[in-house]
Amino acid sequence: MRHVLPNGVRVIIQEFRSTEVVAVQLWVRAGSRDETAAELGLAHYLEHMLFKGTTTRARGFTDREVEGVGGRINAGTALDYTFYHAVLPKSRAVPTIEMLADISVNSVLDETELELEKKVVLEEMRLTEDSPQRFLIRQLYGVVFGSHPYARPGLGTPEIIQALKRDTLLSFYRRYYVPESFTLVVVGPVDPAEALRAAERSLGRLPRSGFQRLPAPAPATLSPRKVNMSRPGSLAYLGLGWLGPKLDHADTPAVDLLVSILGESRSSRLPQSLRERLALVNSVRSEYAPLEAAGAITVTAQLEPSNLARAEAEILKEVQRVREQGVTQAELRRAITLAEAEHAFQSETAEGRARLFGRAETVWRLAEELAYIDRLRTVTAEQVRLVARRYLDPDRYGRLTFVPPPR
Amino acid sequence: MSRIAPSFAAVLLALGLAAAAQAQEPAISRQVLPNGLTVLVREDAAAGVVAMSLQVRAGSRFESPTNTGITNFLHRVMLRGTSKRTAVQIATSYEDIGGLLDASGEVEAAEVRGQALARHWETLLGLIAEVALEATLPADEIEKERRLLLGQIKARADAPFSLTFDTMLRDLYGAHPYALQNLGRRETIERFTRDDLLAHYRAIYHPERMVLAVSGEVPRDRVVRAAERLFGRMARATATPAEAVPAPSPKGDRRVITLPAQQAQIVVGYLVPSLRDPLYPAVRVLAATLGGGMAGRLFVELRDRRGLAYSTGVATQFRTGPGALIAYLGTAPANAAAAEAGVLSELERARATPATADELARAKAYVRGQLSMDRRTNARQAWYLAYFEVIGAGWDFPERFGRAIEAVTAADVARAAERYLTQPTVVVLQPATPQQ
Repeated sequence: MRHVLPNGVRVIIQEFRSTEVVAVQLWVRAGSRDETAAELGLAHYLEHMLFKGTTTRARGFTDREVEGVGGRINAGTALDYTFYHAVLPKSRAVPTIEMLADISVNSVLDETELELEKKVVLEEMRLTEDSPQRFLIRQLYGVVFGSHPYARPGLGTPEIIQALKRDTLLSFYRRYYVPESFTLVVVGPVDPAEALRAAERSLGRLPRSGFQRLPAPAPATLSPRKVNMSRPGSLAYLGLGWLGPKLDHADTPAVDLLVSILGESRSSRLPQSLRERLALVNSVRSEYAPLEAAGAITVTAQLEPSNLARAEAEILKEVQRVREQGVTQAELRRAITLAEAEHAFQSETAEGRARLFGRAETVWRLAEELAYIDRLRTVTAEQVRLVARRYLDPDRYGRLTFVPPPR
Repeated sequence: MSRIAPSFAAVLLALGLAAAAQAQEPAISRQVLPNGLTVLVREDAAAGVVAMSLQVRAGSRFESPTNTGITNFLHRVMLRGTSKRTAVQIATSYEDIGGLLDASGEVEAAEVRGQALARHWETLLGLIAEVALEATLPADEIEKERRLLLGQIKARADAPFSLTFDTMLRDLYGAHPYALQNLGRRETIERFTRDDLLAHYRAIYHPERMVLAVSGEVPRDRVVRAAERLFGRMARATATPAEAVPAPSPKGDRRVITLPAQQAQIVVGYLVPSLRDPLYPAVRVLAATLGGGMAGRLFVELRDRRGLAYSTGVATQFRTGPGALIAYLGTAPANAAAAEAGVLSELERARATPATADELARAKAYVRGQLSMDRRTNARQAWYLAYFEVIGAGWDFPERFGRAIEAVTAADVARAAERYLTQPTVVVLQPATPQQ
């Protein structure tokens, strides 16, 4: 059930009774890509600060209102959006809607809290760097997207975070956290009419801002780059990246299936070839991230440093093979079934459903998300081969390696 | 808009109807086959999916320094060939039904687990039985898996948090097998032969130490009949007496390890009783007052108030033998000393300053909430059912445990802190300056 309130706030409510908990999420059309070069990390910093208190809620409110009743709350900042997600006992749906509405516009962004949080965010940067897979993907986006905002580090830079002032954060908050940016999603054993009334009473009362978010620009064509970074450890990491279609593009379903057939499951091509037959890598996978303005297609692997060159050559060989010979009917059928299953497994939980709906409404369209599996079913093997030719150029790609320093 | 509206409405309606059909708690049935294998079925009519967990009582708890890692190694290889299928045929078989199949050896139990679209439940069950009962352990596949496991052991030793945690378990448990990693050590993984794996396979796969749990949109009676057909022919084994294991006796040491890393890790551990102990629920409430999410004392004091950490919490697990309560914290190297003093003083304060009524209520809600939060998917439901049944606590242990949590008093928590938060074992990981 989708509603648009008079001030532009979107509300999606689904009564879902095979669970004891309710998921309540607030999605905001503001992400790392909306930052200017001087504001790197602001979207993420703001997300942290929204848990620090509002004009009527003292710090520690999540303790009392969420964890104190057995629930959980957290948030995430992506390139295109930020979202706040809570799961609670079902009786808490209405108060949680009110709480999220409150933090969305009434957070005080207290000066002292802001200073204290700096240490936390600087620590988060260190933590990401200690996790090679996450760090690899982030750095690989930098290689693929070049000077586009999608190349940015979501956490910002230590220099910008150290120097961050309340005014800067406040102006970002006022600019982006407006009714036109919000989607509220409620899924669980709730009375939909009651949940809608709660949304109208809270988010529905905010004045329209008239703000129009700038669409993200299309990225420039990829300029092939090879970057090697030294990184402590005993294993190497390899990442290859290409630009892919944006979310709202006719090629998206075919690329989704292509990437699945290449390396998203155990029986898929890259793991079977590089991991099983050639014993070149410990793990290898391909991924496709369809974003609002562009997509990224990546292949990442963990391996012994001595296998780096051969592994890269073998990945490109598989790319070449799919470009020339396409995929089999059996592979295509399997990839579609796996996508259907992934959707079914995401729909098992209230928060999985809420996330599906919230993301679609924020960066896409809910109706298309719900019809997406049917669209996948219409993709042909020839279309998959064509998108392989269109997007996976074996001569033009970005490459990143993490190599252990010499001992 | 009008063009796409109908399909949108239809899909939502379908989801909505499925949801309404299932308004009450799914029922759980338990059946013991004549040969001793237990079958648990949780029928969830709205799921659209099915998940299964076949667990056997084996794992690192039953291993020793000379065969550490053998149960997990065996399970990884079981996925790599049966009397009917090769490794890649197994993978395509489960992917064709929108599924996943995996196997591993853990601490208290080993598991073959799978999930698939509900309409394929029978195919999935057949695959799980095939992997569990007809694995052929092909020699070349053993070598492939050996290479991957050695890679995993290396990666784990490169990861600051895992390395710190593993070191803590070794220091805390000493000669007790809880000190061992389920992955094993490089030396043992390099040495195991096919005969070793085969002997272990034959030693552990006996029906009376196995539990099958199925959760999802499945017809219960047909599941039980299918399980009987697939597993009923297994012969009961003569019971082997359990071997005594040495009791852990931590000395309360402090150890510093170094590794190239960005963050310092500080881990403080204590031994606590097993899940069967009457005071165990109080220990879990105590752990939640300290580390339960964003409102636990460690998070509030060390992260929120003093900005000394990014991640902090307390880990506890359901163990049949001596358990552990382990507080952990990741921080900037410059803050390490202050953070360590901070954690230790919070743990000391837990003995001196009992939980307030508010803290107690919140911690209880947190522990109970954790139980329902952790069981939101059918895969987790199946795991919970099989795990508690196979370790002998009973599949309904979580419900009984939830009621016991409710009954915990402030005096119980104080007693638990008094008795168990003594003699901390400390492990600190200091980042070494990486060579350039």
